[in-house]
Amino acid sequence: MFLEIKDLSVKIENKKILNELNLNINKGEVHAIMGPNGSGKSTLANVLAGKEDYEIINGKINFKDNDLFDLNIEERAQEGMFLAFQYPVEIPGVNITPFLHSAINSKKKRMNEAEIDNLSFAKLLKSKASDLGISIDMLKRSVNTGFSGGEKKRYEILQMSILNPDLAILDETDSGLDIDALKIVTDGVNKLKTKDNSFLIITHYQKLLDYIQPDHVHIMVNGSIVKSGGSEIAAEIEKDGFQKFQ
Amino acid sequence: MNIQDNYLKNKKNIFFSQNKDVQNHREKLIDIFENDRFDKKNNESLKNINLKNFIDFKYKYLIPEETSVINNNQENSYSIVSVNGQCSSYKDDKIEITRILDEDYNDFSKNHTIEKNDHFVNLNSLFLNSGFKIVIKKNNNIKIKISNIITDDHLTIFQKNNYICEEGSSLNLIEEYENKNNSTSNILNVIKLDKNSQLNHFLIQDNSPNHNLIITSHSSCRKDSTYTQKVYNFSEGYVRNFHYSELIEANSEADLQGIFFLKDNNTSNNKTFVKHLAEDCKSNQVYKGILNDRSKATYFSNTHVDQVAQKTEGYQLSKGILLSDNASFFSKPELKIYADDVKCSHGSTIGPIDENAIFYLRSRGMSKIAATKILISSFINEELSSIDNEQMSEIIQKKLVRYLSKVK
Repeated sequence: MFLEIKDLSVKIENKKILNELNLNINKGEVHAIMGPNGSGKSTLANVLAGKEDYEIINGKINFKDNDLFDLNIEERAQEGMFLAFQYPVEIPGVNITPFLHSAINSKKKRMNEAEIDNLSFAKLLKSKASDLGISIDMLKRSVNTGFSGGEKKRYEILQMSILNPDLAILDETDSGLDIDALKIVTDGVNKLKTKDNSFLIITHYQKLLDYIQPDHVHIMVNGSIVKSGGSEIAAEIEKDGFQKFQ
Repeated sequence: MNIQDNYLKNKKNIFFSQNKDVQNHREKLIDIFENDRFDKKNNESLKNINLKNFIDFKYKYLIPEETSVINNNQENSYSIVSVNGQCSSYKDDKIEITRILDEDYNDFSKNHTIEKNDHFVNLNSLFLNSGFKIVIKKNNNIKIKISNIITDDHLTIFQKNNYICEEGSSLNLIEEYENKNNSTSNILNVIKLDKNSQLNHFLIQDNSPNHNLIITSHSSCRKDSTYTQKVYNFSEGYVRNFHYSELIEANSEADLQGIFFLKDNNTSNNKTFVKHLAEDCKSNQVYKGILNDRSKATYFSNTHVDQVAQKTEGYQLSKGILLSDNASFFSKPELKIYADDVKCSHGSTIGPIDENAIFYLRSRGMSKIAATKILISSFINEELSSIDNEQMSEIIQKKLVRYLSKVK
């Protein structure tokens, strides 16, 4: 199993957010989690990425034969986990190029692979940016600073394509995107998809799933997966909403 | 030893002791110290320091055997080594440097503002033992680098410097304070900018833990002149940077910037007082601090806009990053506006490093310490990238790397 979440319960400030949650993802699979506001979707994404604000009450997570809780935030990233943020953080003064270069080399180092030199990295960045319609000028700017919502999401996908993760978690990447930006972003995701990596896509709406075909769709309510199945579930949600699961 | 005995014992080594006006003035100052006649309420010069250590001091001053080296290697570029606050005289057709002892006292003291509630300025006036005057002659464009050297431990330097930029002149002044001995430098700079002149004043401070550096400066700007002060404080010892600026004629400008990097038990006190006394003048202040361990800093800022100073622009900004729960940064920017057509603002943001930004960077594979360092660097990136002197930029970067290497 690539990612195995077993009986995961999590709280923050005495409020239980995830409740005995179970989820298994195999290599090469695309999973989508849908759920109403406040169901715990983003908490799951943050817990997987290692955010330290949460208290794990119960449960286990295995990722690529590692106990995920033994790895800190950066070790999870270096092991191949990537979170595309719902609200990417603006970091004035930190340029994307050296930051991403340093990030990819920290991963290479952990994998005992040769680091990428400046020139090769610049070429890689330029080519990936071009695929996503990101101009060279934008690469000179600070991380997410002064970007529109759509630009921020494109930047997240650019980082994902550079870091080439084994498991990418997309936390409401479709929110705030117009239809053209949605196409660009989802094209970027589809290009990255191989038999060796997996995706966990968190969304409210079926629209995103029109562009990225999921293998499995899960409905999450009150911190638990209440129903799992194929794409037909997304269509059902689109038609009837989440009411009947609550 | 009390102030009076200290003064009388060392009088012969103190400048202008024979001058009657000076004597009268000093007697008044001694009275203030002896009878504790200070306004202690809201007195910024008293914050975070043990005043007793600075008042009950052992006076020690050594006249340097070799006073200074003035090199004019490149055209319009001079390097000066000031030893124990002294500098030998020099003159050419572009600049003139004079020891203050060779100055007429009345010329030297003219228009000096005395802060009667500033202990350090008063001590400077009482125990004056060094200093120089530099005049940049009309329409010259000059670069000067001054290395301030102190030769021995436990010296008490009381230094007054006059900088005069004549009409149409421009001075790029870099001052380095890198002393590793246990001395105290109390320096008062009086800076005058004539019409259409410009002074870019950079101060790099990097003293050892037991070295105290107290700098007070006064600048006055006439029509179309600009005074820029940029202070980079990496000192491990106490540093005080107070600056008083007067924009006395139209279209003049004061641009003040201070960045300090503190750790351990160190303290940095900063104060600015900008007076807008004419129309169409501009002042801009940016003070940023990074504080680790149990370090402390203050920033008191006052921008006063006179009623004649219409079309004033006055901005104040202070920001601080606290790397430890035990560090503190007290900031108090104030505006006093008596004109009705002005653009002014003030703001202050102090807090721990942004945990969301740390999480974001770590989620890309960067270690916590690397993420912290990159965020500290980014916090001052705008100020550092605006340094247009390559050599100075390199010096600052090296010192920043050294500071960051101690951040855990």
